[in-house]
Amino acid sequence: MTAFLSSLGFGLVTASVLAIAATGFTLQFGVTDVLNLAYGAVMTAGAFVAYVLNAAGVSVWIGLVVAMIVCGAGSVLLNACVYAPFQRRGVSPITMVIVSLGMTLIIEFGVQAAAGGTSVSYSMSDGPSLRAGGLDLSVVQLVVIGLSLLVMAGTHVLLRYTRLGKAMRATAANKTLARNCGIRTGRVIAVTWAVTGALCGLAGVVFAMDAGSFGATSTDLFLVLILAAVFLGGPGQAYGAMLGAVIIGVATEVSAAYITPDYKYVIGFVILLVMLGVRPSGLLGARA
Amino acid sequence: MNSFYIVNLLIYAAVDAMACLGLSQQFGIGGVTNFGFIIFQAAGGYTAAILALPSQTANGGFQSYIGGWHLPFPLPWIGAAVVGGVIALPFTFLVGRRLRGDFAAVGLLVTAVLLNLLVTNYRPLLNGDAGLSLIPQPLQGEFDPQSSGYGWDFTIGALIVAVAVYFFVRRLTESPYGRTLRAMRDNDTVADSLGKNLLSLRTAMLVTGGAIAGLSGGILVSYITTWSPAAWGYAETVVLFAAVIIGGTGNHLGAVIGAICVPVGFEEITRYIPTSNNLPPNLIPSLEWVAIGLLIVLFLWFRPQGILPERKRVIRVPDTAGVPAQPGARPRPAPDPASVPEPRPRPPGGRTVLEARDVSRDYGGVRAVSGVSFRVTAGTVTGLIGPNGAGKSTLLAMLAGTLPVSGGQVLYDGKDVTGLPAFRRARLGLVRTFQMASEFKRLTVMENLLSAVPGHRGDSFRGALAGPRYWKKDEDAAAARARDLLERFGLAQHAGSYAGDLSGGQRRLVEIMRALMAEPAVLLLDEPMAGVHPDLARTIGTALTGLAAGGLTILMVEHELAIMDEFCDPVIVMAEGAVLAEGTMAELRSRAEVVEAYLVG
Repeated sequence: MTAFLSSLGFGLVTASVLAIAATGFTLQFGVTDVLNLAYGAVMTAGAFVAYVLNAAGVSVWIGLVVAMIVCGAGSVLLNACVYAPFQRRGVSPITMVIVSLGMTLIIEFGVQAAAGGTSVSYSMSDGPSLRAGGLDLSVVQLVVIGLSLLVMAGTHVLLRYTRLGKAMRATAANKTLARNCGIRTGRVIAVTWAVTGALCGLAGVVFAMDAGSFGATSTDLFLVLILAAVFLGGPGQAYGAMLGAVIIGVATEVSAAYITPDYKYVIGFVILLVMLGVRPSGLLGARA
Repeated sequence: MNSFYIVNLLIYAAVDAMACLGLSQQFGIGGVTNFGFIIFQAAGGYTAAILALPSQTANGGFQSYIGGWHLPFPLPWIGAAVVGGVIALPFTFLVGRRLRGDFAAVGLLVTAVLLNLLVTNYRPLLNGDAGLSLIPQPLQGEFDPQSSGYGWDFTIGALIVAVAVYFFVRRLTESPYGRTLRAMRDNDTVADSLGKNLLSLRTAMLVTGGAIAGLSGGILVSYITTWSPAAWGYAETVVLFAAVIIGGTGNHLGAVIGAICVPVGFEEITRYIPTSNNLPPNLIPSLEWVAIGLLIVLFLWFRPQGILPERKRVIRVPDTAGVPAQPGARPRPAPDPASVPEPRPRPPGGRTVLEARDVSRDYGGVRAVSGVSFRVTAGTVTGLIGPNGAGKSTLLAMLAGTLPVSGGQVLYDGKDVTGLPAFRRARLGLVRTFQMASEFKRLTVMENLLSAVPGHRGDSFRGALAGPRYWKKDEDAAAARARDLLERFGLAQHAGSYAGDLSGGQRRLVEIMRALMAEPAVLLLDEPMAGVHPDLARTIGTALTGLAAGGLTILMVEHELAIMDEFCDPVIVMAEGAVLAEGTMAELRSRAEVVEAYLVG
């Protein structure tokens, strides 16, 4: 039972990191129609921005905010300089994925070239650990869970109650129609890149905190989990991604406790392939 | 320059060229984006290794692996190719028709990442992270692998295999089968509607590419004598994609050039960068990856066609063409559309050839078509009109099988075809065209027409390999038929132009002619005259009525009432997903509810 509860604790933290990342990814894909495989690389870049500041003596929490800003701005630039021009040219979705893979290499190994190939970690205190009903979590882990809840609640408010959220949903549903209805889709898409890029940066830093030490290629496997969460819930579905993140996060860590940690990503992989093969629109997506 | 260096270079070039040719066939020609391509090379490598290695206990016991059969050359290479092809089969469920191409690509990428992880962590299978080493080289009992003569012989062997692979993929590509593959690459939904079995085509491409990749892996392993997960990270696939994109997607020679520029070239260039202790570790390899990423993005932007663009295939129509098809050609129920027979009066009360029974279709919660029933009589040109959003195109798609029905039945020629996929219905003679432009862009107009020919002897994997002598007669007959059609519709001078370069109206014509080349018995046309000059629309209409008089049945969605008046009888009116009325145009004009719904307003 203790093994189960402690793995459940880990699972909640992983699920929280995953929920932030997957919500950003799925919003980005849903609104902009770019399946941005460089998302994991941007996460890494965010984690390293925070690391550079942290290594210079700044608190990692300030680093987190800066990473969000840098990744938000970076994502807007990434879209404006690369993805949007390709989209305007009307290239196929497959070409866009290849472009995003190219960008993955550029960003990921650009970070590695700048940071070196070794793993690094933040200098921060985990704070006292808290026990409640068999769960054993550090303050930092609780903060990560709290941030994730905040992101999910914020996404809900954004999509449900704000003009911007409505415009985002309209753009995701039908871009041409949204533009004809007077929505400035170009601006909505730019803002979406900023918001989802910031979420990506946030996800990168909390991922690095959770992982302890990280390198430039650390998010390669985590991207598999993000994709699994996104496709489990249905690509483009924000609530689906949150649900998928919780399921996959918990399943990953609990399976790690019972099988072996080496294979903890396998469950995410199996879920992803099953969803792709059987129901690519996801649990919450409309049937195609 | 010592001989070892050159041998090494040539063997790597041969192996990379082979892998790129496999990818060029799969991705450049077949349009199957397999981001897990490296898995197949890895599988070939491991297969060759465990076939050639002695059993693990006989090998000092420091490695653990399955197999270890100690088989003589060339069995390890053959096994590598076979396993590379066979393991492609489970992947076919990702590349079937139902899944978006980019989603399937992501699935394959993730598979590559995870398989690498599994092999790395699970030691008993293939010695895990450390990988396999001391893999026996071909014929190393008979010859001395350290000798320079052996190196050269190995090189010549590898180059011969690479050249053989080149001629193999070329033969596949420069055939009617290759044309079908390129058609599928350009627009899979349309290829499906013309009777092409996408699943079988893609499976063939996955297996072919996999076998070639496996062979390349086998040859590589038997040269370098080691193989480990570090050699086949997911990013290695990106390198091969970079090579094919840079060399020229759809051009096999380009793939070879790409192989020499990217995987081989990068390896060689970094060899000449002076190493310095001041540089941070990993800097050069990291920058190499950045450069590969940059090359992909920059090439896709500035020169998407690559160094050697895809060649334009000009098809000659033989002078003797126009002679009647040889005896022994398959009997076809449909008339030859190229020769318009004398109009005959239609027999009254003809038989029903196509029937919708209570057909409906839901999109999410919206009911686009609800319970539509009607019959189409053989030899008629039946019109289908209705306001935008009435469900006409959806209905057409369900009749053709492009969209599944949510309820109801479709009967064709008295048989229930509701469960048949589009390509099977097309092969039975139920062929559709599309409302949106749907030409195969990177096929010439002539190729577009030829791509639809049913039962072409060269339009199969085996037929393609049998070579032009096997299918040339079919090709000539089809080309002659296509030329007659082109002349009739005034597009003969554009036969050799890429369909994507034509004007909107011309592309509509190409599409109609292509559908006719499919030898339909029932032709479903979705707004064939939209965006076409009125004179041309008249030509098309006249030709269609002529074909109908010869026995072809046509169901046509159209907005232009003048066209309906002139060519269509009867006409079906749809509104809000249901059939509102049916009759001649004159009858319909006299009915108040029809006029209200559509004819006025």
